[in-house]
This record gives sequence, structure tokens and C-alpha cells, in this order.
Amino acid sequence: MTTLALPAPGPRLRGLVLTLLALAGWELAARALTGAFVLAAPSQVLGWLAANPGLMARALRETLTNAAAGFVLGNLAALALAALALLWPRAQALVTGVALVVFCLPLVATGPILRVIFGPGAGPQIVLAALAVYYTTLIPLLVGLRAAPASWFDLVHSYGRGRWSALVHVRARAALPYLVAGLQIAAPAAFLGAIVGEFTGAERGMGVLTIRALRGLDVPMTWALATVATAVAMLAYVALGALARRLAPDAPPLLLSPPPAPARRQGLRAAALVCAATLALWWGAIAAFDLNPFFAKSPTDVAAALLTDADAGATRAKLGVALAETAAFLLPGYLAGLAAGAGLAMALVLAPQVAGPVMSAAIALRSVPIVTTAPLIVLALGRGAAGTVTLVAVMVFFPTLVACLHGLRQTPGQVMDVMDSFAATRLTRLLRVRIPAMLPAFFAAARMAVPAAVLAVTVVEWLATGRGLGSLMALSASLSDYDLLWSAVVLTTTLSALCHAAVARIEARVLRRYAPEQLT
Amino acid sequence: MAAERTDPPAVICRAVAKTFAGGTEAVRPLDLRLEPGQTTALVGPSGCGKSTLLRMIAGLEPPTSGSIEIGGAPPAETLRRADLSVAFQDPSLLPWRSVRGNIALALSLARRPADARAIDELIALVGLEGFGDTRPAQLSGGMRQRAAIARALVTEPRLLLLDEPFGAVDELTRQQLAQDLPRLWEARGTTTVLVTHSVTEAVMLSDRILVLSPRPAAIVADIAIDLPRPRAPGDARTDAFAALTDAVHEALSQGMARAEPPLAAQ
Amino acid sequence: MTRPAPFSRRRFLGTATAGLALPALPRLARAQSSAALQLSWQHSVQFAGSYIAQDRGFWSEQDLEVTLLPGGPNAPVEPPVVSGTALIGISAADYTAAAVEQGAPFRILGVAMQKNPFVIASLPDNPVAQPADLMGKRIGMALANTPVLQALCTLNDVDIDRIEVVPTQYSAQPLLAGEVDCLLCWETDLPVAMAMQGIAAQTMLMADHGYALHSQTYIATLDSLANRRAELVALLRGELRGWEAYRQDTAAAAALTLQMYPDAGLDLPTQELQAERQVPLMFSESTDEHGFGWWSDAAVEDNIATLALLGRTVTPDLWDRSILEEVHGS
Repeated sequence: MTTLALPAPGPRLRGLVLTLLALAGWELAARALTGAFVLAAPSQVLGWLAANPGLMARALRETLTNAAAGFVLGNLAALALAALALLWPRAQALVTGVALVVFCLPLVATGPILRVIFGPGAGPQIVLAALAVYYTTLIPLLVGLRAAPASWFDLVHSYGRGRWSALVHVRARAALPYLVAGLQIAAPAAFLGAIVGEFTGAERGMGVLTIRALRGLDVPMTWALATVATAVAMLAYVALGALARRLAPDAPPLLLSPPPAPARRQGLRAAALVCAATLALWWGAIAAFDLNPFFAKSPTDVAAALLTDADAGATRAKLGVALAETAAFLLPGYLAGLAAGAGLAMALVLAPQVAGPVMSAAIALRSVPIVTTAPLIVLALGRGAAGTVTLVAVMVFFPTLVACLHGLRQTPGQVMDVMDSFAATRLTRLLRVRIPAMLPAFFAAARMAVPAAVLAVTVVEWLATGRGLGSLMALSASLSDYDLLWSAVVLTTTLSALCHAAVARIEARVLRRYAPEQLT
Repeated sequence: MAAERTDPPAVICRAVAKTFAGGTEAVRPLDLRLEPGQTTALVGPSGCGKSTLLRMIAGLEPPTSGSIEIGGAPPAETLRRADLSVAFQDPSLLPWRSVRGNIALALSLARRPADARAIDELIALVGLEGFGDTRPAQLSGGMRQRAAIARALVTEPRLLLLDEPFGAVDELTRQQLAQDLPRLWEARGTTTVLVTHSVTEAVMLSDRILVLSPRPAAIVADIAIDLPRPRAPGDARTDAFAALTDAVHEALSQGMARAEPPLAAQ
Repeated sequence: MTRPAPFSRRRFLGTATAGLALPALPRLARAQSSAALQLSWQHSVQFAGSYIAQDRGFWSEQDLEVTLLPGGPNAPVEPPVVSGTALIGISAADYTAAAVEQGAPFRILGVAMQKNPFVIASLPDNPVAQPADLMGKRIGMALANTPVLQALCTLNDVDIDRIEVVPTQYSAQPLLAGEVDCLLCWETDLPVAMAMQGIAAQTMLMADHGYALHSQTYIATLDSLANRRAELVALLRGELRGWEAYRQDTAAAAALTLQMYPDAGLDLPTQELQAERQVPLMFSESTDEHGFGWWSDAAVEDNIATLALLGRTVTPDLWDRSILEEVHGS
């Protein structure tokens, strides 16, 4: 499992020094930026926390409880979906497809509907936390449930036992390291999901306080909240890593091998099935919750808004402009995040001694709520594309780093022995052996990062830049233009799904060349 | 242990053939009768299809055509009663279970009661005393194969299928096992099929050797091994033993010569 | 509704008519009815009149149990009102007009903010005191509010092309960091935050320059107007009394806000200042004469004119004074 490597005394000292240096740098930067109202110093953060321990504790308890409930429910849903896909293999494409579509649904659209369905209380927070985690658990889990040599299943079958025994005795246990890897990625996501859920109208919690602090220009409070949120997310990540080492001390044979690439015709059929299932779910949800047609638009409403209504042309034009603005941020941010994640993973292989501190920094970066970092990054990089692109890259970078590190460690020992015998340098090994071995994990991460990137860009557009699809969705919700909102939701979701499919296509081509065994 | 013991079954293959999805012909239509309680060795060059034949008998792979009967019933029935065990080429030990845990798993899969004493006896028989609680990752390749053999034996199967189970076992242990195992399955009354490419091993262990041609597998010779039991490592130096190994080698080369196209060097 | 549930229109109509069928029951035996009020933002002194009504029992003494539903950045008011989760929502004339255009059966029943709270906030050394001062300046705002700026410019003959619009998050930070020269914001939030940091911002209230748009309006559906009048009257009556009490002592209102919502992260001085600053927006000669929430026909005409500038076409019957008349008449 990739977590903070347990440091020996030497590295521990170095880690302490690095942490102190980072804190000192933070303090100095904050003091230099006092007039800009974007960054509070660690001393101010501590001061605020010391002055408001009760408020902080109550908010943390609320958000943590909701995040934990969402974490459990979301992961249980992932387990159930994985079991369904496993016991009914023909349904896998459908399950993963619909799961992807639901995962891509923008919070701006789902939040208010969840609030209407659940009313006051923690319902939307818990559901949004669950929605934030189930997909990133489902995908590694599906891989893990198949991550066993065929002979283990032969063994089970040779005693006359079927799929159920194979699941209980082989798959469940073989999937455990993959499950834990998924849970590790899920922990910070659940926390952020619960925070964003509070934006739908909550009495208390970290999200409520964050909005209050940002509006109130209370920079120490803002950063105290961000620091606590980051610390919680990091602790959850590290704790799950420790749990993983206890439960499954052996590294999994391979973290994320992609599912077999379907033949083109099969792919089209699966896509059609997913579309049909999505439409059925859409109509079904409106009927099941008896949602009011004023804000819950049906597929026919959206089709009419886009195609037959009098202002369909104007709607399409608005969406087109927003899509172009979003794509301009999305693509560079996504690619930069992938490059940074894979690049850092390789750098860490070349210089393993800095892995501990770098991983800590990476987890921290991933865990800081976007709402807090956005103004700082905008200040540093300006209001142009650079800021948004950077925020998207941050969201993409972390899962890529984790997956690539797993992948880089997959290199079979014997191959490395051969490289030893040629006295190959670290760089040669990296280029000749490790990178090809990393490719499957890299592409799996690249696929999973697509929805994360879309989510990031729309959230930043919504909360900070006021452009693109994210902003359009927020605006149309506030102006009750739910036809436009749902058209934008369909567009955003389709965009995610298409990007996902495009990455899968590239993946299949690259792996055919470098790792053909992954495709069978 | 099994509640009721029945006699070891005969295995009858009628015109059994296997062609894989890609068009590779692994086994030509083949007729075969393995006598109850006998040990039959399938000998042939690597990749000749003998493992495929074994898997078909085990019921893990359906034949493309023809039928298989075990004790008068299809393999699925034997599977259902958990009346057979397979020791695979790859030991296939679950890495998260100890040696003892892996052996116990077979009992549990076969719906037999847990029997700690039987497990310990088998661990001793395969020379793994003191390693009962060790995880497979800490064992050598040969030790893992021995654990897999113990696992195959623990359910007291009526039909035992061994797919090159001694590949990684060191010479000394292999000789010891070659002495001990036949005694065990003779006492229990087991029909045994042994896939191997070691001629000496085949002669030492079996009652009958079927020599297979290179792929697609066809029987080129059916040689009865009428050496007295129990056999000892020293027997390998006897003339009778030498004559039998010669006969097997002869049949193997004939099979190779017949093969088209010639097989690449092993 | 104390227990939240997916509340369908059909079900809601059913219970409403059931309620109407039993008007003759004696008051004491009548089960307490309940209603929810959907606020437009997170809890703060912005809604302190409602907190006072709750705290002093202005609703419970009318046998009405009111749940206050907080809003937030991702909590539009219209869906819960349309679906019946909330009996009344706190909206604004422009949002309500937009929703009605999309088919929502809303009426405005009362107006809490007589003057629109939008201001152009700037720093004293580079002030925007008149709309004409905007020219040549960089204004930070959500792009979504471009029609608002456009309306202000049209009303005051300002060329909007001479203003540089910088899309920003809703925060005073870009102004203080010098990224923009002024902000489009509410009188009662970002300027108050700056004041608490010791920065006395210049604010130009758009309402003083022709931007007539009712804000913090009470909205309800036609169904509710037809079938839940008694509850609407009771709810608004409580609001009225709460806000009158608020006006008497804004400091006490701020203190009550903190006491009722200790988890909202509010601090007393900020809430006190905000409470003071919203008084001139909420009370006017018209409300002194007719009571809290009142509006004149002339105000409706002005609103319709401003809404037209925002691209919204509405008729005067969007405003329905009948509930307020009942409240004041009794």
C-alpha cells in the first residue's frame, strides 16, 4: 500500500526538519501577504482554534459524522454494485457505465433536489459524501475481485464449488488490498462531499463555517477550517493505510488493471444500454420521489429545450459558449495533473528518500478544500486560466500519483534482477522496465480522474471564476431556468462519459503494445 | 473424513477431443480407460495437451466432443460429490493462509469436517513439519508444491489428478515422496492420474504409462509397469526398470518423429 | 412540518383540503398546524425577525409551529416552495419573476427589504460615489450579475463598455488585494466584513440610483394562497411582529441570533453592525404608515420597470396583498 513509508530514525528527523521548514515558510508567506486577505499564518490558525475550540469541535463532529455515514453507505453501495457485476458478469459494463454517469452528476444540480427529497437535516450531506466515494471504490474493487490467478478458481471448482465459494474464499480476500486502496482515496473525498453537502442549507458543520468565514473576510477562521479539514483527511488516509498493512501485509499483485476493452460493436451496445438505463433511472427517480416538474426536468423536457422549443437555438448557443470555456480549463488542467502525478511518481522512484515528506505534502494538497485554496491560487496565478487549470490539476494529480506509485512497484523482482546483472542505472530501469509496468495503473487513474477533473472545474467555475458550465448551472438554478440547468447537466455528464471513453480507447491502444496481458 | 467410502472409480474417455476457441487443436479424439485403483502416468513433451486432458477428466474443462465417465457418471457428478482432488502445476496456495490453513480450506471446500490430526499427519508426510503455520511466501517452490500435494490428499479423494506436482521438489524429497505417496493411495484405494514429463518418475510411481504425441495429443504407446511394489529409489538401477524407461523414451521419440510440424527445442 | 418528508403536491393538496373540511372544530382541540419557512441564506441576523417570532412564541400562540430552513450557496429557495416542503420562501423580486416565467405559480405576499441591498462598494481613496464614477473602473462581481450592472448603467446613462468586469468569487478580498476597484455586493455583508477589519468602505446603494427591486420577499404558491390561507396569515403575522420587535432593539436581535444558532460561526459585533445596517433597507415611511412588509402600487410600478431592464416581463398581480391585508386588518 502506498502510504507514508514508516520512516527510520534518520528520515524521521529529516521529516521533522522538513515539517518545521514548511511551517516556517507558511508563516513567512502569510505575513508577507497580510494585506491580501488570502492566507493566515500557522500562529493565527492556532490562535483561532484556541479561541473557538467548542465551535470547531461541534462543526467537526457534525461534518465528520455525516462524512463517516456517507463513507460507509457509499462504500457499501460500491460493494453491492461490485457483487452484482461479479455474479452477473454481463451486467458489468452496465453497472460501471451507470455508476460513472451518476458519479458525474454535478453537485449544483443534485444538491437542491436532495434537499427537497430529504428536507432539513443531514440527508443531502450524507448522500453527497456517499456519491463522492462509491465510484473510486467500485473501480479498484472490480479489478481486485478478479485479481487472482485462474488456478485459484480451478482449485475451488475442483471441489465442486461454484462462484459463491470462489467469492468467499478467493475473491473477497484477494480484493482486500484493492478495496483498501479505494477506501484510502475515498476518505478525503467523503469529507469534502459532506462539506459541499452543507451548501444545500445546513444548520451547522465545517461547510457552513467555511462560507461564513469566507464572506466575513475572516482569514484565520478560513484557514483554521481548512487546516482541520486537511488534517482529518490526512489522518483518515494514513489510518486506512495502517489498517491495510495490518490486514494485507503483502502488496497486491497489481493495483489497477483495466477491464478488458470491449470490441467496438460491444462497446456501442454497452453505451446504448447505459443510455437506456440512465434514462429509465432518470424518469424513475422523478416518479419515485414525486419530484415537481418545475425543477425536476425529464429527458423529454431536456430534449424539447435543446431541440424543439422556440429558444432551443439560444439554449444550445449558451451551452456551447459555456462548454468551450470549460473545455479550455479542463483539458490543460487534466493533462497537467496527469503529467504531474506520473512525473512525481517517477521522481520518487529515482529519489526514494524524499517519498515520505512528498507524499505527506501531496495528501495535504489534495485534502485542502478547494473553496479555501481557490482565492490563494487565484492571487498567485491571476484570474485567467492558470488558476483554474492549476486547481483542476491538483484534483487529478493525487489519484494519479497514488496509482502510478502502485504501478511502479509492480515491476517483477526477476526482471529487476536481470537489470541488476546488466548494472543498469536507475534511469534505465525506469525507462525500460518500470514505466511500461506502470502504464496499466496510470491509465486506470487517468480514467478515474476524468470525473474528478470535471467536478473540479465545475466547482471552481461555480464558486470562483463565474465562467463555463459550472457557473451556467449555478446561474440557471438561481434563475429557476431548470430546462437550461438540466440541459447543462446532460452536457456535463456526456462530456465526462465521452472523455472517459476516449481515455479508455487510448488506453487500449497503448496497452496492446506495452502490456497486452492486461487486455485479456 | 468422508462419511462413506466407495471403491475407486474407473475413468473412461470416449472419443474425447478438445479444440480451443482460437482453433488450436489440443487433444485429438481419444479413447481411454483408466482402471480403478490404478496409477496411470501421462507422459509427453511439454505443451502436448496432457494437462488439457487432465483438466477435462477433472471436469474443469468441457471436451469439444466425446464424453468422459468417472465411475459410471459424468465428471460433474464427481465434482459435485467432491470426490476428486487436483494438484496443479502451480501450487495455487492462497497467500493469506498458512500451510495448515490452505490444507484446511480443501476440507472446507469439500464439505468435510475439519480434522487437525489428519492435516498434521499429511504435513509430516510431505516433510513440512514445523511449517504448518508458515505463509506460502516464506516457503521455497518445492515446499509449496509439497503443501499443495498434502492439500490434494487431505480430502481422501477417490480420484487424484496430479499435474507435474514435483517440478520444483528437490531430488531427495522427490524420491521420498515417490515411495510414500503410492503407499498412501494404495491403502486408501485411489485412482490416480499423474501428468509428468519425467520418465523415471512415471515408471517409479505408476502402474501404467500412456505416452502422448506432441500437440494435438494422441496416444502413441500404452505401457504396463508391472514392477513390484513397494518400490525404492534403488529399483531405478534394475534392468527391468531400465527396460521400461527405454521403452517409454522410444515411444516418445516415435511420437516426436510423427509430429508435424516439428516442435521447437524445449 | 416538523418531520421532513418528500412532500408531493398531490399529498399536500389532500391534507390541505382535509384541514379545510374541519373549520368548525373548537380552537383548543385543533391540532397545532405546522409550516416551514425557507430562508435564503445560512442563519444570521439577516433573518433575526423570524428568530424573535420563534423565540417569543408569536407563532406558537397562533397554534402554528414554524420550522426555519436555512439556505446556503447551493440552496435555491424556489424548489422547496414549489414542492411544498416550505410554505413560504424568502426570495427577491427578480428571482421570483424568473421562476414565474418558468412556470412557477408564485405570488409575492410581503416585502421585507423595501430597498434593494445591492451596493457598489469601493475604498475611500478610490471611491465610487456616483454611477458615473464606475467608468474606467474594474468591478469585481459574479458574471451572473451582469444584467444588474447593465440595468444600473441604463438607469444612469453610464456606458457599460467603459467598465471592466472582473469575474470574482463573492468576497471583499479582491478589492482589498487591489485586484479590482469596486465590488457589486450587498450593503449588509461584504461592507460589514470590511468594517470589522477596520476598513470603512464607501458604498453606493443602487436603490438610491433608480434600481428599484424588492428583496427578501415572502413568496408562496397559488395553491397555498387558495388552501392554506390561515397558516400564511399566521406565519406572516408572526414575521411582522418579530421584525417590529427587531427594529426596537437590533442589538438584542443580534444577541438572540447568536444564542439560537451558536453553531453558525457568527460573532456579536459583526451581527450587531449588520443588524443596524439592514434597518434602513427594511423600514420606510410606507412601512411606518402601513406596517412591515407593505408596498405601494407605485413601488410595484418601479419594480416592473427595473425588472424590464433585467429582461423580465411581469404584471402587477405578481404581488398579492390579500394576506398582508388580513394580517394588518385583524
